[in-house]
Amino acid sequence: MSNDVLVIGGGIAGIQAALDLAEMGIQVHMVEKLPSIGGKMAQLDKTFPTNDCAI
Amino acid sequence: MGDFKVKVRKKARYVNEDLCTGCGSCAEKCPTMVVDVYNAGLGKRKAIFKYFPQGIPSVFTIDAPECRQLGQGKKCGVCAKVCQAKAIDFEQKDKEVELNVGAIVVATGYEVFDPSVIPEYGYDRIDNVVTALEFERLLSASGPTAGHLDRPSDIAFEKDLEDLEKEHKKLSRQVKPDANDGMAEKTAALEVRINAMKDKKATFQTAKKIAFIQCVGSRDFRFNRFCSSYCCMHSVKEAMIANEHDNDVSSSIFCMDLRAVGRGFEEYKVRGGKQANIQYVRGRIAEITEDEAKSPVVWYESTTSRQVVHEAFDMVVLATACIPAAGAAKLAELLDVKLDSNGFIKTDSLAPLNTTRPGIFVCGCAQGPMDIPESVAQASSAAARAAETVAQVQLAVATG
Repeated sequence: MSNDVLVIGGGIAGIQAALDLAEMGIQVHMVEKLPSIGGKMAQLDKTFPTNDCAI
Repeated sequence: MGDFKVKVRKKARYVNEDLCTGCGSCAEKCPTMVVDVYNAGLGKRKAIFKYFPQGIPSVFTIDAPECRQLGQGKKCGVCAKVCQAKAIDFEQKDKEVELNVGAIVVATGYEVFDPSVIPEYGYDRIDNVVTALEFERLLSASGPTAGHLDRPSDIAFEKDLEDLEKEHKKLSRQVKPDANDGMAEKTAALEVRINAMKDKKATFQTAKKIAFIQCVGSRDFRFNRFCSSYCCMHSVKEAMIANEHDNDVSSSIFCMDLRAVGRGFEEYKVRGGKQANIQYVRGRIAEITEDEAKSPVVWYESTTSRQVVHEAFDMVVLATACIPAAGAAKLAELLDVKLDSNGFIKTDSLAPLNTTRPGIFVCGCAQGPMDIPESVAQASSAAARAAETVAQVQLAVATG
């Protein structure tokens, strides 16, 4: 039995889920296949509908 | 539920994460250039690299198959020589980590549809037909063109010119004044060719007239029947940003219907039409050809004027579909969860983050195409569901 959570994928969804879990005091293990987290969102320049920077 | 044993392979970076300061002197001196996947293949990076400048963790990684020493068995080790932190470790090996977890959140995302399987759009043949993600990199200040909308055909032309200039320089050094070996003539002919190319280069302009084609690989019975959900707004955004960079840019977005369904999206679309020279054209593109100026020519039936028309653009951007990640089927097998008919991870309609296995939740594009705000909302929700599962485990342990 364990209280840890595994998050598979370090894109925007994985990062948000991991941060929320960590803020609740839960130990999170994140697995990402690329050398950096960020996923597809890190490749975007701006985001709609506010034209805010993606990174 | 509540007790998963997971084996994870931690891939070797060949750089000690605790020592690397991320200074980048290794990448500066690395002699091997590799196609940069982060820049959608439009730029180059070194074999020792950071996936993108702001990447976390802020340490470098060696791309082993591309590295001279690790992949090709040659003598190199330049990175190790220049690294002041002594962080380079060619001996590092993949590690297996065993974890015991109470819940799992699957956030494996999606892949972009490869449009080269649609012959009529000419993605393979026509340089100036690009995907939305490639266009995104061209628009980005940190991208391969520093945010200028240089046309890919012009970039390729400039690269050819650069190569020829290098060859000319090399040939000029070999020319001996008295030798009658034809080298002098060859060099002179090359110079004429280079000058002609330079004149042509001087006429190049950044792209001013752009076409966006919607539903590339989605809502198309040959490929995927589903709607890819975010591409309509993505194209509007890219057209707006292009116009923001250069007010002379005008765009036409070709669509069956423009789906602006989120909060503030309709207003955004209207603003694009009024302020960013965007024209919305109803019509499905039949074919894209190329003219002498390397400009793509778009052929379509305008359903409003009931005529078949064609129009040349400086660039065409394909709004490529969001499709299941290549490893989705294998991951589903590993986790023992089911996929839906489109190949995304199956969820319960009344519990939209539950997979078919208790204790495993899914959020974001792993369960179907969605935009960033929706992914974030789902992620928070999946985190809450996972926390709930862990709490139940704790309660069960406490009460025996």
